[in-house]
Amino acid sequence: MTPDNGGFATAAYLLAALVYGAYVVSLKLRERRLRERLSRLESHATASNRAAGA
Amino acid sequence: MTSASEPLAVARPRRDILLGVAILAVALVYVRALAFTPIEARQGAAQKILYIHATAAFIALYVAFALMAISSILYLWLKDEKLDRVAESAAEVGLAFTTVVLLTGPLWGKTIWGAWWTWDARLTSTLFLWFLIVAYSLLRGAVEDRGRRARYAAVLGILAAMLVPFIHLSVYLFRTLHPMPILLKPSAPSMPAEMQVTFFSAFVAFVLLFAALLRARYRIATLRDLVASREQERA
Repeated sequence: MTPDNGGFATAAYLLAALVYGAYVVSLKLRERRLRERLSRLESHATASNRAAGA
Repeated sequence: MTSASEPLAVARPRRDILLGVAILAVALVYVRALAFTPIEARQGAAQKILYIHATAAFIALYVAFALMAISSILYLWLKDEKLDRVAESAAEVGLAFTTVVLLTGPLWGKTIWGAWWTWDARLTSTLFLWFLIVAYSLLRGAVEDRGRRARYAAVLGILAAMLVPFIHLSVYLFRTLHPMPILLKPSAPSMPAEMQVTFFSAFVAFVLLFAALLRARYRIATLRDLVASREQERA
């Protein structure tokens, strides 16, 4: 007789989606944070260069 | 050879098309596996866990950690920072795939074996590899000097990847509860054609996801090095 264990399969698929989904979100957040930090550093460098040239 | 002072460029993708395609492919595989693939008579629906468990294991062990090891060996030889970034990215994405392996396996084990976990050679060595990759990530975070960090990580990465052949052969070398390969074996696959189509579709979809995640993670590593260089210039 075929066992009724569909719940285990559904749980496994949900868990996998959760891990991959959370990882994608973490990558996007880390990239955004780094881009913001980089743009702050570059705008600061541009302002310093302008001040030095003036 | 690239160095800390060499300018780095990180293109900002307007939309990550590869990631979008990969997510769509994985979603289609989910629908095919859960709704349109026959239920195996003896194991029931839990057999469908194979499509996400075995594909994640294959990609983690033979793609991600193999790439980590090859990039690490090449880094030690060529000292190119790009290779270090590839190794770092492959290790982290591989860790995510191994986490899926270690979470989905017990769900299959509980319904088929009656136990969530057993300390057999395949399961234990996979868990050990997971810890080694966690240690690899911690090591990367603990060493500040870029050159030293890359060198130490490369050595640990190569040592960790040496466990992969052992994990592959563990079901042949020891008496284990873990099933023998049903697809990756010298003889013909012991799986009906319809299930094979689902398995190989899942494999393609998850390879696409791996590639998209690897690219995104590599971008982060490049950005982090660029930020570090700018901060060094400012200091």
